[in-house]
Amino acid sequence: MRIKIRKRYLFYVLAFSSAIIAAIASGIDSISQIHITDPWALGVACFVLGVIVSLIFAVILSIKIKDKTLGAKTVDPTFRGIRLITKKELPYHIIAGFGNAILTIGYFLLLSIMGGDVSVVLPFSQVVILYLVIIESFNDKDTPTLVEIQSAIIITFGAILGSIGLKGSIDLISLAIVFLVINPGWVLFSIYQRKLKMMKIKDYPNDAINIRLWNVIFACISTAVIVLVYDILNNSSHLIAGLIASVQNYFWVALIAVFTFFNFIFYIRALGIGKASVTQAVKASIIVFSIPVSIILGFFGIISPLSTDPVTILLKVMGTTLIMLGIISYALTLTKAYVFIKMKPGFTIEDTMKKLWAIKGVNRVTAVAGNYDYILKIRTRTLIKGYERILLKVQEIPGIKEYKWQSVLKEWEDI
Amino acid sequence: MINAYILINLEPGNTDKIIEEMRKIEDIAKISVVAGEYDVVVRAQVKSLDKLLKVTDKIQMIPGISKTTTQVIEKEITS
Repeated sequence: MRIKIRKRYLFYVLAFSSAIIAAIASGIDSISQIHITDPWALGVACFVLGVIVSLIFAVILSIKIKDKTLGAKTVDPTFRGIRLITKKELPYHIIAGFGNAILTIGYFLLLSIMGGDVSVVLPFSQVVILYLVIIESFNDKDTPTLVEIQSAIIITFGAILGSIGLKGSIDLISLAIVFLVINPGWVLFSIYQRKLKMMKIKDYPNDAINIRLWNVIFACISTAVIVLVYDILNNSSHLIAGLIASVQNYFWVALIAVFTFFNFIFYIRALGIGKASVTQAVKASIIVFSIPVSIILGFFGIISPLSTDPVTILLKVMGTTLIMLGIISYALTLTKAYVFIKMKPGFTIEDTMKKLWAIKGVNRVTAVAGNYDYILKIRTRTLIKGYERILLKVQEIPGIKEYKWQSVLKEWEDI
Repeated sequence: MINAYILINLEPGNTDKIIEEMRKIEDIAKISVVAGEYDVVVRAQVKSLDKLLKVTDKIQMIPGISKTTTQVIEKEITS
């Protein structure tokens, strides 16, 4: 028997788990860069072995124990076995895979331009949280509130401060790559994976394991095409070097692929619960989790030891404090409510439901049989917004006889 | 699949214990403690009306529940 838990807890557990695994993966990434010095080749090798590793794990997790798969019992309760994607999913996978490919290629471009030291410009990739907040305000039904924008800005600046290096230089081209290639790539990658996670496949929720597997496959194809075109234009052979590297240095790259696989399973599951921007913001805690990884790697002499420069330490402390503050303020300001509505006779269900659904902040419209005619589920950051933007709009809909607002104090869900 | 909201009024004093009992009921998808006319809103997800009756029965058997009102969902739009 499964017991219901609080959805918010699960969201934070998933997002933090993803950040911890990603921090370990980035540590292994540093070791791999010693073995494969060509960043393009490393990228190709990561995707090639990523496909193989993801496929192996997806097959293992598909093994049925009693009536459930191993994957459903361990990492994702909605996983019912490895499967081909549906027609409906195909365009979303192509876009998410392309997003993954261009953000990875953007990263390699940056590495090749900056000669390996990207610690000054890469922290600006955290600005992706702000990109997501802006895009969600156009796409989602919930306009961002001041609290959301504030939290996003606090986390973004915290992440920049916490991860910025004091060596190296900033030039316009490298910043342009971060803002125009890497960040848009992340946006496509996270928003379209979220859309996939929210999809129902044959009346069942879409699972994170198949989404991840197919994302790596599409990202691998996109990367191979882009690197091939680059090779042809520049008369280079990064694609071949990548394929050779994936055979010669399979151990470290496969290890990255294993950690990345589980990192994204938890990330995609978190995306299915929270907004992409909030998930990304919680994942910015990777800056905090990567500190012990850096200390361990520094101890073994794999990377240079953590700086004891007081300015650097101060920046890291300020950055991590801001990240934590931002995440907490995100977590504490979400308000949910039910609105129970009674109607006068003579108004069609279709028309009224459409009007109710058009109100921003309305998360669910349900027509019911019983004492009431409709039950709405509301998500809002503040009660004032709930009144001004939701209740006043509900009152304007013709035919509404009576409504009752019930604020949710605490909630448990079967997930 | 039949979905329904069950609106529940509680006798004061035992909310935590009642919620604990409700969390064990298999066909309940969501439990929300609310402030207003009702005390708890439960969302049930069952295969038949017969099963829905069993869920409401189980809820009513919990000591401290004073009234339940079931609203069967006919149509839904969700994000």
